[in-house]
Amino acid sequence: MSDVEIKTLTMNFGPQHPAAHGVLRLVVEMDGEIVERCDPHIGLLHRGTEKLIEYKSYLQAVPYFDRLDYVSPMNQEHAYALAVEKLLGIEAPERGQYIRVLFSEITRILNHLLNVTTFAMDVGALTPPLWGFEQRELLMEYYEQVSGSRMHAAYFRPGGVHQDLPAGMLDSMEGWIKQFYPFMKDVENLLNENRIFRQRTVDIGVVSAEQALDWGFSGPLIRASGLPWDLRKSQPYDVYDRMDFDIPVGKTGDCYARYLVRIEEMYQSARIMEQCIAALRKVGGPVRVDDRKISPPRRGEMKGSMEALIHHFKLYTEGYKVPAGETYTAVEAPKGEFGVYLVSDGTNKPYRCKIRAPGFPHLQALDMMTKGHQLADMSANIGSLDIVFGEIDR
Amino acid sequence: MGVITPAKPNTAAEAALSRALNDELADKGFVVAQLDKLVTWARTGSMWGLTFGLACCGVEMIHCWMSRYDLDRFGFAPMPSPRAADVMIVAGTLTNKMAPALRKVYDQMAEPRYVISMGSCANGGGYYHYSYSVVRGCDRIVPVDVYVPGCPPTAEALLYGVLQLQKKVRRTGTLVR
Amino acid sequence: MSDALKQLGDHILQTQAGVVSKADIRLGELMLETTPDKVLSLLTFLRDDPKCLFKQLIDICGVDWPEREKRFDVVYNLLSVKNNQRIRVKLMTDETTPVPSAAPVFSSAGWFERETYDLYGVWFSDHPDLRRILTDYGFEGHPLRKDFPLTGFVELRWDDVQKRVVYEPVKLAQEFRRFDFLSPWEGAPKVLPGDEKAQEAAPAPAKAN
Repeated sequence: MSDVEIKTLTMNFGPQHPAAHGVLRLVVEMDGEIVERCDPHIGLLHRGTEKLIEYKSYLQAVPYFDRLDYVSPMNQEHAYALAVEKLLGIEAPERGQYIRVLFSEITRILNHLLNVTTFAMDVGALTPPLWGFEQRELLMEYYEQVSGSRMHAAYFRPGGVHQDLPAGMLDSMEGWIKQFYPFMKDVENLLNENRIFRQRTVDIGVVSAEQALDWGFSGPLIRASGLPWDLRKSQPYDVYDRMDFDIPVGKTGDCYARYLVRIEEMYQSARIMEQCIAALRKVGGPVRVDDRKISPPRRGEMKGSMEALIHHFKLYTEGYKVPAGETYTAVEAPKGEFGVYLVSDGTNKPYRCKIRAPGFPHLQALDMMTKGHQLADMSANIGSLDIVFGEIDR
Repeated sequence: MGVITPAKPNTAAEAALSRALNDELADKGFVVAQLDKLVTWARTGSMWGLTFGLACCGVEMIHCWMSRYDLDRFGFAPMPSPRAADVMIVAGTLTNKMAPALRKVYDQMAEPRYVISMGSCANGGGYYHYSYSVVRGCDRIVPVDVYVPGCPPTAEALLYGVLQLQKKVRRTGTLVR
Repeated sequence: MSDALKQLGDHILQTQAGVVSKADIRLGELMLETTPDKVLSLLTFLRDDPKCLFKQLIDICGVDWPEREKRFDVVYNLLSVKNNQRIRVKLMTDETTPVPSAAPVFSSAGWFERETYDLYGVWFSDHPDLRRILTDYGFEGHPLRKDFPLTGFVELRWDDVQKRVVYEPVKLAQEFRRFDFLSPWEGAPKVLPGDEKAQEAAPAPAKAN
């Protein structure tokens, strides 16, 4: 029999696809049902955020960070606020830091709820999204109470947070946490021991610890591969060093391990939230730094005092000038390590703001993870990588 | 046999209407209505939406379909394939790279088709209007029926936009296009 | 924390004296400066040396300083999970000098270098797959350079006659208003009409504020 030459089939997993999690164009070369190679084409949501930031003042650049990873907006603002504070040489007051940690953990739960439930939807379970999104709605109510917007809050600003929490919010949050634990148990009952879910996720997309380090993984992906690395514990920022929480670490590095790590992280986030709420009841004081050259005065003051009016005017038109320097500041975003490399030249506008999104190197490794798997595992892999194109393409 | 009426009609008008329908059916055995109204009733009662979520507005669009603001109860089911969808909701920023794909998907939809432009990025470029790689409004690529403002529009606003589209279809829908 | 950083910086300066031209600690962050031809050996050293163990390449980016001759800065940010430390490596290059690709050293470098090439035009030699990643297919220019305008040169619309998307020169409904707060004269052009005559007449021209 003569040698048969088999040509691989090149297929386009197009930009519009329900399992593509946004705009992802994958060109997959397939040998039958097995994926030989996949080449992600990104940039379909490239909006020029970094170039636009160079033309805006430091305060005007804050909302761009909300729109990067749009399922967990406040964590991105957190990284930017910390970077600018580092260059300015200031620190947010204690109450502001507690509020930031509280909302960071709320955002982490928001993100993991979306990811876990849509991952379940990608592999076929249709009920978890319906349940999970109601929890998201309840959390987005808190976003709205504190900032006015359900998603893009522009709440964490360099210097602290914009406004203090409204009255009654802490009690309402405690009530929410109480009903969250039984809700999570319900979701776990649906998925954890589910035969179909396990068949679709166990031993799919296995990543070893060395591969994870080599490919620049961070966050739940590196923890699922066995490395106990969490920026909140190793390089704590704000008041994370006073919080008592555990880091879930997986063993096998497959999709199922990543799913379990995210579920457990949600429990730990709720735990941190409880501690923050208890602390916020005791800690008072301002929520943003008092320096009038950096944070604007309250509106009541502004309408009464001349200095406050001038400060308000100068801050909202020109903005504050940040001393020249550069910094790379990273936070533990729900998806991994979200970093901001900020270069300042002494003026009121950032000179260069590079956004290091966790999804960027994660998506790069998709080729390595999906080799030898079937096409249906591709969507399971993409779901477990937690890809959001706002941050990858910027 | 009669028209299925609600157990407790809310207003006197509703009660009168259902009584009139029932009487007519019992009397003649059929009801007469304008064909236009019938067709638009069928069209608006089951408009399937193509989920064209591009960016952040896509998350609010998903929220609109989930338990709280359930779009499905209006007949507006999510349909990932353009071949079987009636409405395309462009949710998010449209970039230069994505524009040909958007037009291709629009062309794959069968008539009658409608477009809802959701969010300020899809309306006119929005927050990224001055960027080098953003299309300043999806109406440069596809004809738009309803614009929903917001950044992102709340799920409730999108729901309002969908209902506005239904009103528009009832107002302008004809058999001949 | 800063002691450990200082020791690390000294150690690197001693062992890699020919490769590293400067080691600086500012704002609690250690920065090394090197040149394009030495960067690969430095990265390999940082990855493998038992005192360093910077096994994760976190980020590669470019910065454009157009007044300099070597206008681009390529910045590598590295992380050591074992030692819990970060380090930054910087090198300077211009539009024509290629930088050897770090892909053989760190697998994650692939896309970061593609992005730097796409947005700045820095050429990485021996890169497994150097092509545009974020900008449009067939995009001309490198957007994040300081001389590239914010709104770009071309914009897109659907032409119903040709039945395809067409690229046309940019025409904005409202210009981007840029407020340069460096001058107290808001909105006034830097060169007032009539200034050309002043420059012709006097050898030392009187420049407007």
